[in-house]
Amino acid sequence: MTKCICVGKKKIHCFWNNRERQMHALFHKIQQNGKTHRFFAIGSPALVWQLIFFYLPLILTISSSCWRCSDTGTFQGWTMQYLGSLFSKMHLNVIAYSLILATVTALLCLLIAFPLAHFIAFRSGRHQTTLLFFLIVPFWTNFLLHVYAWFFALEQTGFLNNLLLALGLTQTPIHFLNSPFSVLLMMVYCFLPFMVLPIFSSLEKFDKELLEASNDLGASLRQTFIKIVLPLTLPGVRTGFFLVFVPAFGEFIIPELMGGDKQYFVGSVVSQYILGSETQELGAAFMALSCLFLAGAACVIHCVFRQISTYLTRTVR
Amino acid sequence: MTKSFHDRHILHRVNLTIPSGEFFALLGPSGCGKTTLLRLIAGFENLDYGAIYIGNKEITKLPVNRRSVNIVFQNYALFPHFNVFENIAYSLRIQGHQNGSVEEKVQKMLRVFHLEDHAFKFRNQLSGGQQQRVALARAVINQPDVLLLDEPLAALDFKLREKMLVELIDLQDELQTTFVYVTHDQFEALTVADHMAIMNHQGEIEQIGTPKEIYEFPISSFVAKFVGTTNLLKGTLCQLESNPTIKIPNLGRFSLHIPEKKGWMKEGCTASMSVRPEKIVITKQEGSYPSSNRLKGIVSQIVYYGRSTQYSVIVNNRFKIRVFKQNEEHIFTENIDYDDEVHLCWQKENTLLLEQ
Repeated sequence: MTKCICVGKKKIHCFWNNRERQMHALFHKIQQNGKTHRFFAIGSPALVWQLIFFYLPLILTISSSCWRCSDTGTFQGWTMQYLGSLFSKMHLNVIAYSLILATVTALLCLLIAFPLAHFIAFRSGRHQTTLLFFLIVPFWTNFLLHVYAWFFALEQTGFLNNLLLALGLTQTPIHFLNSPFSVLLMMVYCFLPFMVLPIFSSLEKFDKELLEASNDLGASLRQTFIKIVLPLTLPGVRTGFFLVFVPAFGEFIIPELMGGDKQYFVGSVVSQYILGSETQELGAAFMALSCLFLAGAACVIHCVFRQISTYLTRTVR
Repeated sequence: MTKSFHDRHILHRVNLTIPSGEFFALLGPSGCGKTTLLRLIAGFENLDYGAIYIGNKEITKLPVNRRSVNIVFQNYALFPHFNVFENIAYSLRIQGHQNGSVEEKVQKMLRVFHLEDHAFKFRNQLSGGQQQRVALARAVINQPDVLLLDEPLAALDFKLREKMLVELIDLQDELQTTFVYVTHDQFEALTVADHMAIMNHQGEIEQIGTPKEIYEFPISSFVAKFVGTTNLLKGTLCQLESNPTIKIPNLGRFSLHIPEKKGWMKEGCTASMSVRPEKIVITKQEGSYPSSNRLKGIVSQIVYYGRSTQYSVIVNNRFKIRVFKQNEEHIFTENIDYDDEVHLCWQKENTLLLEQ
């Protein structure tokens, strides 16, 4: 694992260096062509938007975690005390649980989404658009409504328990709510489309003749899947994985409502600190810390996908 | 065998025996079911009725990956994430061969197909001809009993196509594998095939024979029209016993040569006469060629092809006869121009009588 992270950091370093060089070359080219103004004319609204509404607040939030303020709120200097105080077992636990939750959510989504996307892309024929439509349509209703709908379905006297009792599968109602089960169920339910759509789009572009060619050359369905389908759809899987993992890490409504107060996650801790009195600096610091961990986790995931990709397309010699 | 999709017959009672070790071409217009036939042999489609054998072994129910049949797709279907070497090695790797033997076999294939310099390139770094060779190498490395080629040259330009055709013939000579070559291009089929089958729009096989038999002795007007160009004239048969002739309304009587009398040939029945354009002599001087059949007409169109010229001649204001003339001289001794009055002559031995 440590090796992986190191490799990842090195890669990122290279990546940025390369990017810098590329940008330099691009700038040079644009200036030579005397089209600098046009480049900025197209890019500037987006750049300004990003700067004002994303990078500036981010920098302010992170730096505010190092501010020492008086009781009246005036800036008095820098301090690392808030960041330092976060390196406690409790806080690191919260981050670890959030990472685990996000990973398990993404993996479960992947397990469900791949067959689903495969079915929609390859087997649904003329119903393809309809199926995609039905995948998206639940998200036209309010998100909180979903959560409450599930809340009532999973209650002790809710739909699911009534059904299980009626079928005789259980004698006493099961406590679904306030458990990791209900949190995961809701997470998977909410994030599934973000996994299905990228995988679907990479499968849809897939040249079906390749499957026939592989089959014709002696490969079974399983071998074809491992050697042809998986490596070629891996970029889609990776996109989906990140699309689920990153928001799942910071999600706070679902764990809050479905998980009760048994376990805190990053989102809920940040919101509590920020909304609480005299703990804003702690909230900012905790956010910065969790961002750091998220970036680390993203690097690890990136490396894992790279390893899988090279393993699947490995060539001897 | 019979195959239909959604109640529409794609192949109808096709009975085809492909000689082992031969270059066999399936020629037919687009949508006639020749690709379906190929996919049936490969195993991608299931038969509704009938059976497929390779040698004495029935393969009708065998899954695709267990058939000793390999296919070269029209668009080659090379795996984009593998390099040339791994593409060719794919079937060996699937079978779990040792690295050493894979290496040896693939290197041999690379040599045979002149791909040594491209072994580590990927699909998007190869030209059309190179991709074609990789697809071929990948398909033959396992020494299949039958190699299926689905319009393999359709994506190549003309010069390369001619070159690849010759390479294909050489390859078949060397491997002695049965090649089944599907095409809608009569030039390709006539060039490569030892035997060929002509399919019609109804998914039936019209005729099987050597390219020469098919071209010179088509058994139906469909084959005559589809393979090469021909002049088809409809009329009634008469004097079948003594001096067979066909009477074409508004055009005249023409002598026929009937080497072998068939059942449908009866006195007074309607039939078509087919004369290939290159078998007609075109000249401005009447009587310069002794021949059994003659016509007089006006040149309405001249198409210059380089090695030959096609003249369209209008006879009696309604019949259009096409004639090919080999351009044997730099400067024509007899220059035929638009609106010239010309004489067309052909021997009765060069006519062919076809059932209506």
